[in-house]
Amino acid sequence: MSISYVLVLLALGLFGAAVWAMFWAIDDGQYDDIEKHASMPLEENGDIPDFLAKGDGPR
Amino acid sequence: MSAADALHARWSLDAGEHEHVVFLVEGMHCGGCARSIEKAVAALPGVLNVRVNNVTARASVEWAGRGATGLAQILDAVTRAGFKPVPLAGTAASADYQRERRAALKRVGLASLGMMQAMMYLSALYGVTDIDPAMTQLMRIAGMVIVTPVLFYSGAPFLAGAWRDLRNRRLGMDVPVALALLLAWLPSVWNTLRADGEVYFDSVGMFIFFLSAGRFVEMSVRHRSLDSSEALARSLPAQVWRLLADGGRERVTAIALRAGDRFLVPKGSVVAVDAELAQDMPPGTQAALDESLITGESVAVRRGAGERIRGGSVNLGAPLTLRAVTTVEESTLASMVRLLDRAQATRPALARAADKAASWFVGVILVLAVITAVAWWPIDPARAFAAVLAVLVVTCPCALSLATPAALAAATTRLARLGLLVTRADAIERLARADTVIFDKTGTLTGTSSGVTAVKLLGHSTFSQEQALAMAAALERGSAHPLAEAFRPHENASLRADALGEFDGSGVEGHIDGVRWRLGRRAFVEELSAANVVPPGSPGAGAQIHLGNGQGLVAEIEVGVPLRADAAAAIEALRGMGFEVIIASGDSDMAVAGAAGALGISRAYSRLTPDDKIRLVQDLRAAGRRVFVVGDGINDGPVLAAADVSCAMGQGSAIAQSASDLLLVHEGLNVLPRAVGAARRALRVMRQNLGWALAYNVAAVPLAALGFVSPWLAALGMSLSSLGVVLNARRLATPERTP
Repeated sequence: MSISYVLVLLALGLFGAAVWAMFWAIDDGQYDDIEKHASMPLEENGDIPDFLAKGDGPR
Repeated sequence: MSAADALHARWSLDAGEHEHVVFLVEGMHCGGCARSIEKAVAALPGVLNVRVNNVTARASVEWAGRGATGLAQILDAVTRAGFKPVPLAGTAASADYQRERRAALKRVGLASLGMMQAMMYLSALYGVTDIDPAMTQLMRIAGMVIVTPVLFYSGAPFLAGAWRDLRNRRLGMDVPVALALLLAWLPSVWNTLRADGEVYFDSVGMFIFFLSAGRFVEMSVRHRSLDSSEALARSLPAQVWRLLADGGRERVTAIALRAGDRFLVPKGSVVAVDAELAQDMPPGTQAALDESLITGESVAVRRGAGERIRGGSVNLGAPLTLRAVTTVEESTLASMVRLLDRAQATRPALARAADKAASWFVGVILVLAVITAVAWWPIDPARAFAAVLAVLVVTCPCALSLATPAALAAATTRLARLGLLVTRADAIERLARADTVIFDKTGTLTGTSSGVTAVKLLGHSTFSQEQALAMAAALERGSAHPLAEAFRPHENASLRADALGEFDGSGVEGHIDGVRWRLGRRAFVEELSAANVVPPGSPGAGAQIHLGNGQGLVAEIEVGVPLRADAAAAIEALRGMGFEVIIASGDSDMAVAGAAGALGISRAYSRLTPDDKIRLVQDLRAAGRRVFVVGDGINDGPVLAAADVSCAMGQGSAIAQSASDLLLVHEGLNVLPRAVGAARRALRVMRQNLGWALAYNVAAVPLAALGFVSPWLAALGMSLSSLGVVLNARRLATPERTP
């Protein structure tokens, strides 16, 4: 009988831990954009090569 | 301030006499919330007009400047009504969306975990009689410990919304929900504390999970529906490469660009402001640009040296050097963003009527809940409680409230993608109902610049049409006459005329390959060859210009403003949709008859003054027609305003000044039939949504009152009904299927 009390309390503790972990992950931005990280390697950075800025590149 | 922020800046400041602002409001869930804000702000002195849209979360306020009321007082009134005003700016709005999304996700997450845990403990008590009383009590306490934070955290928006509604003395949709939650939770806590009786913690957890999950999906769809102006604003680069006089470059924020600045646009980058292509482009080269963000046109456009490029275009080709013509705030893109902001802040008449019905509905539901309790008590007191909870939860006035604005928000996004900006919320509904379309001619059915519309070779001519045009262009090369512009595209570098002379009111003369040629009035050209008279041709719609030499007339060239390439197809499509098509123009009889003949339009009016046009619109409306007027937006203002719904051809700065309901940013008329199709779909979806919301409530309430719907099923039904309305509306944002 006494083990049931322990298990219920343990389950409550796990519930609390699960809620804490979920809140932490959301606040950390892990759910903000679940597609962004997958597409990041495909994006170019916006810098311009020097030869273009000097005006001697293709126009 | 970023470039995106600048686009959302105030769009009408009339020297302090008349001010106008659009901002976001956080915490709105239904039309009732929107009305509360309208009421609070309208009570301020000097406020002339206030419109709040709960779906787009935007508020638009006009007020008389230099009075007791300023922006601070307006924002304060919104706060006192229980809502949070947020600046309508690119980054601030994005941060706000992110905060709202994270908070909603936490609420749904906690509710889902809590619901499952509570059910795990409390289902052990269902129908079990031989369980130890101490264990039963432990399960009750565990349920209470889990569900109480769920109620006060995940259910906070419902409790706060109900409290706000009651404080504002109105019955919003949160009132019955909060009442049901508290009615289930309070007796459960009481029974837990006295260790006896039924507990409903699992039902409370489930209610909150279904309701908050429904709101979360609704919020996600709403954020996506709003992306038409946000997508425009966010498309701008934060920084640009400005070119210095010494040939160097510096990286500056886009809003630092001023008219006259030269800047570099790399391949694949967005042009930050309206600009001109540098004059020193190599001859024969053209820039390739994707203007789909602004015009919806997916085909790349080509521009040559000195030509204008609209901010928001994407450079598809080699890096470009541009000269800024406007700042970010004055650009075409900024005008478009502000117009979309304005349209999204207003609610159409149909939505306001639905909101009013929804507020009555809540009152009726509370009365029905009391009747249900009184009726069930003598029959079965145990079931009375569940029936009352089900009645309170199952009704969904929010589906009624969302039915119209959700459809309009999605349709506005769809039309913006087609290249048609909706500047007034009622426009879509009125466009869908229109049955007569009146076109202005010049600048609408036709372009704005003149060109050669027909070439007829005459008499002994051995030249081709192209050769005749090239000779005409060579003769006109030095002329400053407006008609000379029509020949510029036909210039041929290998063909040159010398000894050029211009005869006022008659034409031009010159020598090509030693032969004397004339271009101009027939009589003037025939003077060179008086003996070879050719019978006059039939008069056309444009100006007739003749080309000839000593042998006689060679060609008769008609110069006019050519019809737009897609005008005929657009008119045919509109006719196929049941429209009567009319031309109303101030132009000459001949020009209008020519255009009408080419387009197969039998009802065409020429030489109309603006007053005549208004009278025509009024007569048609008096005869029961619903009139859609399409004009150039610059000199058609009064007639556009007189129509049921109007569309202006948006060109540059005209976009900002337009008084029309719709703005055609796309350069082509073929968008119009597609827009009418989209508007009619939107009206159909609005009717479906209203019908569904009404049918759901009419069917669900009696079933719940009779005890056929359990409380958790009621919560699921309520969430699904409003979700169904929003998802149905979302279909409008996707392209229509072509037959």
